[in-house]
Amino acid sequence: MKKSPDTKAVVLYNKEILPGYFLLGLKWKAAKAAPGQFVMLRTSGGFDPLLRRPLGIYSVINAGGKKTFGDDGIELLYKVVGKGTKILSQKVKGDGIDVLGPLGNGFTLKAEHENKKVILLSGGMGMVPLVFFAKALGSGTALFGCRSKAEVQLASGFKKNGCKLRVATEDGSAGEKGLATDLLKDEITNDSVVYACGPVAMLKATAAIAATVGAVCFVSLERAMACGIGACLGCAVKSGKHSGVYDPSGVIENREYKMVCSDGPVFDGADIDWEAF
Amino acid sequence: MKKPARVKLKSNPLEVVIAGVKFKNPVMTASGTFGYGSEFAAYTDLNKLGAIVVKGLSLKPRAGNPGPRTVETPCGMLNAIGLQNVGVDAFIKDKMPFLRGVDTRVIANIFGETIDEYAEVAHRLDNCPGVSALEINISCPNVKKGGIVFGTDPLQAYAVVKAVKDAARLPVITKLSPNVTDIKVMVKAVEDAGTDAISLINTLTGMAIDVEKRRPYLKNVTGGLSGPAIRPVAVRLCWEAKKVARVPLVGMGGIMTASDALEFLIAGADAVQVGTASFVDPDAAVKIASGIADYLKRHAMTLGELVGSIRV
Repeated sequence: MKKSPDTKAVVLYNKEILPGYFLLGLKWKAAKAAPGQFVMLRTSGGFDPLLRRPLGIYSVINAGGKKTFGDDGIELLYKVVGKGTKILSQKVKGDGIDVLGPLGNGFTLKAEHENKKVILLSGGMGMVPLVFFAKALGSGTALFGCRSKAEVQLASGFKKNGCKLRVATEDGSAGEKGLATDLLKDEITNDSVVYACGPVAMLKATAAIAATVGAVCFVSLERAMACGIGACLGCAVKSGKHSGVYDPSGVIENREYKMVCSDGPVFDGADIDWEAF
Repeated sequence: MKKPARVKLKSNPLEVVIAGVKFKNPVMTASGTFGYGSEFAAYTDLNKLGAIVVKGLSLKPRAGNPGPRTVETPCGMLNAIGLQNVGVDAFIKDKMPFLRGVDTRVIANIFGETIDEYAEVAHRLDNCPGVSALEINISCPNVKKGGIVFGTDPLQAYAVVKAVKDAARLPVITKLSPNVTDIKVMVKAVEDAGTDAISLINTLTGMAIDVEKRRPYLKNVTGGLSGPAIRPVAVRLCWEAKKVARVPLVGMGGIMTASDALEFLIAGADAVQVGTASFVDPDAAVKIASGIADYLKRHAMTLGELVGSIRV
């Protein structure tokens, strides 16, 4: 039987990079993480809030400057939206935090897609796992959508990681006026591979656009979850490609419902039943 | 000549016998919160658990309810999973080999839409090596047929338990719903039907609404409330059940710490189950078992002396 993994992380820094947005650096032994993976973090030692909060990994910290994904720590970028993230925003250097993970499958550039045009599409906080993925890729076209100019800075990591960046704002105060998916219509060809993360409406539109032009598309989904390890079966999403019969062998391909935490969070956009979402 | 080393028989202070089955400690994982055990293998030492109670098993595999299936509430959570499970045959074939390799007891939680289905699931598990007992779920609030229907009507509850007892030789634990007017009536009904033990409580039916959207958070509208929010209700029901129960009780409902578990033991439960806590800390059940051992040592008590020792 394996020994319990180390869940004890220590806050290195917790900086408010934009009003309401925090960059949290954690020193953590169990940090070996791949882009697109997430952690389940306990914001308080008590039971209110009760459940862990799922947060996407923004980057890994390699104190030794190693090229490989190291295990010195991780960076999380989060927005204060409720009680849990509010408590999290008050953590200071040296505080301990209980972190479970890294969890989930993450983004990968499959060998058969290596020669395709890579598009990283994100909306708002959806950029978190994709900036991490951009670092692993070192190139690609990043399309970022947000409400207004104030949030554009969130996407600065794409440029830093070698991507060409196009921005759309809903109010037109920066970049082009419109949605990230408007930029996608502009960039996508049948030879594209799209990786997307953001609001459900954006992901749904992305999957539809990709299907129309015949491009490959992978989406990272979010769902309320309790455990993060495939046990509570709370974060179910309906698969569009299931056989209609629950596959008793547990092979995920044929199951009607897939779990965002353990089967995902990254799914083939064509494999999700968007109408049921 | 050197004397052979004397084998010192160290008795285990946490050992408990329920329904004729010996458990290494009184802390089990609650059904539906611990998958089929393997999900937690990387995060806790499964060998240190009193028992693993697996996700409710039905005759045929079940896909479960559409999402969203969970929402957090103050000090608790609502769930409406809808008994998604691999089905009893796949459980025996695909999940039991792993569980047989774990040094703990396995309790199969069973569920049916009809009384015949309950009996058939029980029958199929009866000859499965490694299964130590059955727990009958007559209390799931999240499915349209079966479940809570059998858990709120004493005559129906009697019929289900009787059918399972007739279909299987394995010891039977019946899991009761808190969503009843008088728990004592249900205790009597399932005892009369021959249950070997009673576990309680399942979740309390609840509901939460997103006021901005004016929609329920759960697609199923209602769900089962679990977590520390329900613990006082659970302790009270356990205490009431104990007043009339002749069979051992397994208490549960919002147990997060050893101290929480002790409340149930003192109220009269012979063992406890840990549920929602495993989502927050996958190692919770093991920590709780060790905390109970510390308490017994500190108070120089045996587990038997502790159970039902409430002073009112």
